[in-house]
Amino acid sequence: MDTYTFHVQGMHCKSCIALTEGELMDLPEVTHAESSLKTHTVDVTGEFGDRTPQQVAQFLTEPLKRHGYTLHLEKQKHQVRWSDFTYAIPIAAVFIALFIVLQKLGIVNLAGAGQMTYATAFVIGLIASVSTCMAVVGGLVLSMSASYAKEGETVRPQVLFHIGRLVSFFILGGVIGAVGSAFQLGGTGTFVLSFLVAIILLILGLNLLDIFPWTKKIIPTLPSSFGKGVKGLRGTAGALAPMLVGAATFFLPCGFTQSMQLYTLTTGSYLEGALTMFVFALGTLPVLALLSFSALSIKKMQTGVFYKTAGLIVIFFGLFNLMNSLAAAGLIPPIISF
Amino acid sequence: MDMKNLPLAASILIAAIVIGGAVVFSQKPSDSGQIVQNVSMEGEKQVIEIDAKGGYSPKLTTAKAGVPTMLRLKTNGTYDCSSAVTIPSIGFRKNLDATGVTEVAISAESAKGAVEGVCAMGMYNFSVKFL
Repeated sequence: MDTYTFHVQGMHCKSCIALTEGELMDLPEVTHAESSLKTHTVDVTGEFGDRTPQQVAQFLTEPLKRHGYTLHLEKQKHQVRWSDFTYAIPIAAVFIALFIVLQKLGIVNLAGAGQMTYATAFVIGLIASVSTCMAVVGGLVLSMSASYAKEGETVRPQVLFHIGRLVSFFILGGVIGAVGSAFQLGGTGTFVLSFLVAIILLILGLNLLDIFPWTKKIIPTLPSSFGKGVKGLRGTAGALAPMLVGAATFFLPCGFTQSMQLYTLTTGSYLEGALTMFVFALGTLPVLALLSFSALSIKKMQTGVFYKTAGLIVIFFGLFNLMNSLAAAGLIPPIISF
Repeated sequence: MDMKNLPLAASILIAAIVIGGAVVFSQKPSDSGQIVQNVSMEGEKQVIEIDAKGGYSPKLTTAKAGVPTMLRLKTNGTYDCSSAVTIPSIGFRKNLDATGVTEVAISAESAKGAVEGVCAMGMYNFSVKFL
């Protein structure tokens, strides 16, 4: 029986602990394995015959390779794959340029003419999803999608997010309609909220770029219950978080959402209010779903490029929101103006 | 330059051209500097009309200083951010009706320098310069 300590390269998340431990324990030679996210190491106890420590590291790397981990005797330097940026930067640029063109051409002017019907609410939702609201909600969706994909989860948290969003728009829309008063944030509230969203987006974006190891330390870490989900344990707590984030998007600063809430106010009926907000949210679904599930389609190809592209876009949205929130509060002159 | 950095430098250049191009070539007609006649006198009052939909138009207005002024904000099926207006210098903040006219009074004392309006999310703005 020997015990070795190996440095794990590629260990970046809580689910990695369960994953590395599980894979190693599955080997008949291994009797015990314990990973640590803090030190990025794994202690392995087992019967490895007359292999040298170097050979043991290679042997144990085999089952972990497909998950992107490698074991080493020496601590590895954090490696930045700059080559990924060669593709990530232009792809992000095209996306950002498209976003700017859409705003400059006044896509929002297509929304709203005449009577408000459910069809109009749907169209307004569609337009809202490609308007500057995309910088807020879309940024959040994209960063969530890419972050979860890194943890090994792609579909479930995204679906839960959208369910949470649709359900909250229905329920809260109904409440506004019935009660006759909207949840309107004052100037300070709007500023604090947009500022917070901007900071969160910046941190998540930097983390996706994977350049600075320190961003992992400040990241609002996803609860480890998500991580365990990778190994088959599907806790209710894990399901709750993305659903709550989805539900909370009702309150995020977005001009269209607020205008719809104001309209809903005038309906004076629960069902009409609920349906209006629900149909509006349904209108935003196609574009948001596209962002949500972008991680799915690209995963097979260049994961590094995808995360870095997503990171750059999320950072752009973060900066965009930051400057806008400061301009709206009158703290800086408006730099971005459409 | 190191040959290894060449592709990266090229990709940054492409990115800069794409984004720069998007900013330059997609100006709204209202940005092109054409003069819109939106200031008029109604009796003793100076009236300034600004459309609020997908931004504010005109973005820049020049008016006479020291005159009691009425800012007339017009919405027409406006569901975007421009319906949530803030004018910090006179402490005005309101969610405009989707369609309608909202009058904002600016006293003779306040009608000086530049009065800036901005939407709640910050990406649309207008400015009235009192000369």
